[in-house]
Amino acid sequence: MVNAYAEERNARAWRDLAQGLASWRIWSLLALNDIRQRYRRSRFGQFWITISMAIFVTAIGFVYSTLFRTPLAEFVPFLAANYVVWFLISGIVTESTTAFIQAEAYLRQEALPKTIFVMRMLLRNFIAFGHNVLIVPFVFLFFATPPSWAALLALPGLVLIAVAGFLVGLVSAILSARFRDLPQIVINFLQVLFFVTPIVWRPEQLQGEHRLVVDLNPFAAFLRVVSEPLLGRVPPASTYLTAGLSILVLAAIAWPLFTRYRGRIVYWL
Amino acid sequence: MASIILSQVTVDFPIYNTGSRSLKNNVLRRVGGQLGQSRTDVVTVRALDGIDLELKGGDRLALIGHNGAGKSTLLRVLAGAYEPTLGRVTSQGRVTSLLDITMGLDFELTGRENIILRAILLGMNYDEARALVPEIEAFSELGDFIDLPMRTYSSGMALRLAFGVSTAVQPDIILLDELISVGDAAFTERAVARMEEIITKSSILVLASHDPKTLLKYCNKAVYLRKGRIEDAGDVERLLDRVSEELARSGKPAKGAA
Repeated sequence: MVNAYAEERNARAWRDLAQGLASWRIWSLLALNDIRQRYRRSRFGQFWITISMAIFVTAIGFVYSTLFRTPLAEFVPFLAANYVVWFLISGIVTESTTAFIQAEAYLRQEALPKTIFVMRMLLRNFIAFGHNVLIVPFVFLFFATPPSWAALLALPGLVLIAVAGFLVGLVSAILSARFRDLPQIVINFLQVLFFVTPIVWRPEQLQGEHRLVVDLNPFAAFLRVVSEPLLGRVPPASTYLTAGLSILVLAAIAWPLFTRYRGRIVYWL
Repeated sequence: MASIILSQVTVDFPIYNTGSRSLKNNVLRRVGGQLGQSRTDVVTVRALDGIDLELKGGDRLALIGHNGAGKSTLLRVLAGAYEPTLGRVTSQGRVTSLLDITMGLDFELTGRENIILRAILLGMNYDEARALVPEIEAFSELGDFIDLPMRTYSSGMALRLAFGVSTAVQPDIILLDELISVGDAAFTERAVARMEEIITKSSILVLASHDPKTLLKYCNKAVYLRKGRIEDAGDVERLLDRVSEELARSGKPAKGAA
């Protein structure tokens, strides 16, 4: 009996995933509406995403290039590529906490697959990334940084972020529905993470055992599988290895959690 | 043919106080020693208890019971939104639950965008969704407001749109929590007519209501819920009589069996 239950839960979880992914019309429309809504009635609309990013990169670029005594032409492209990718990663992690909480009205009335709302959150962040990444070519052009074919490697890197983002989304959306302190904890965690991840500083600036902060930091790995190609460099195999292993670990956590608690989520909302 | 079969369906609601919802307290409880308090302060409420129910084409089921008897929970289980803690639900057919007709309506979107959003949520493609717009537009009498954000609507207009959108697609199984009454008298008349039309064309109707007249008019069988259990099942009139009798006996005035 217990086994039959477990088996059925597993089948339902797979069905949820398959139907959730197949319902692309639903999550893409919801994600687009989210973006539109955020910038409705503003003159530049969703390009405020791009403008905010440009302002941040310019300001922080000036400050840190002085602090680090690095030439602007070197530092600003570096910062732009890193920060754009970091913004994607931190956006996914932050917003995943409210993926189910936000969908309460839907989940309490309809038998919609839960994964729809994780995909909605993911796509929303990738749409924002699409706007943010526009500033990278501008910055490169401005500082006459030559383009490189290695930039194409950013695409598989984005796929890695999407897969990991989906898994993180599942975990943190489920746990946050149950434990309402988690969203706050996550926000604080990300603020700290911003400083220990090589976004405004280079990994080369760390020496000896401090390098472990970069080598063992999965966030650094996911950052660098996209930002390094953008900067015209091929990420080392070890970075891909860290990212790949992180995905395996995440899947090993996310799937059992989802299978076990999928049916309970709606009772927590 | 549409059908719903519930066997031994039990639903437990966890009620969290702010204390147990917090991760900190959960961790501290596990880390710290036993202080003699109960291990967990999650209270569970059994909203449904061992429900057996079989519905087939042509069934028009009345859910009778006092507030808190489990009518709404049962409707949400039938909708598939609540997965039971124990037991099994097997259903066939497109279910439309009109429990919250404003579901998914976004006040920042225009009427037209809202219609399309809801149609997509029902599993349509964009062509099918767009094809629905004229009919709903006409029914809800929005006129030029169809292309304005819903927040500019009067509450009557918003309800008319919600009702029009919710009833635009013919379902096999309809779940209703009280018959919807919307807007002014003229619109209510049209709304009732439209509701009756989709009820007639549907295969199964489950209607929870406190109004005996409504239940007698639309339903051909009934279930009397009390404290999450099926107390009695059968003829609508007999069950309604039983409920008002019980009310009279318990000394409370029977205010229209409410």
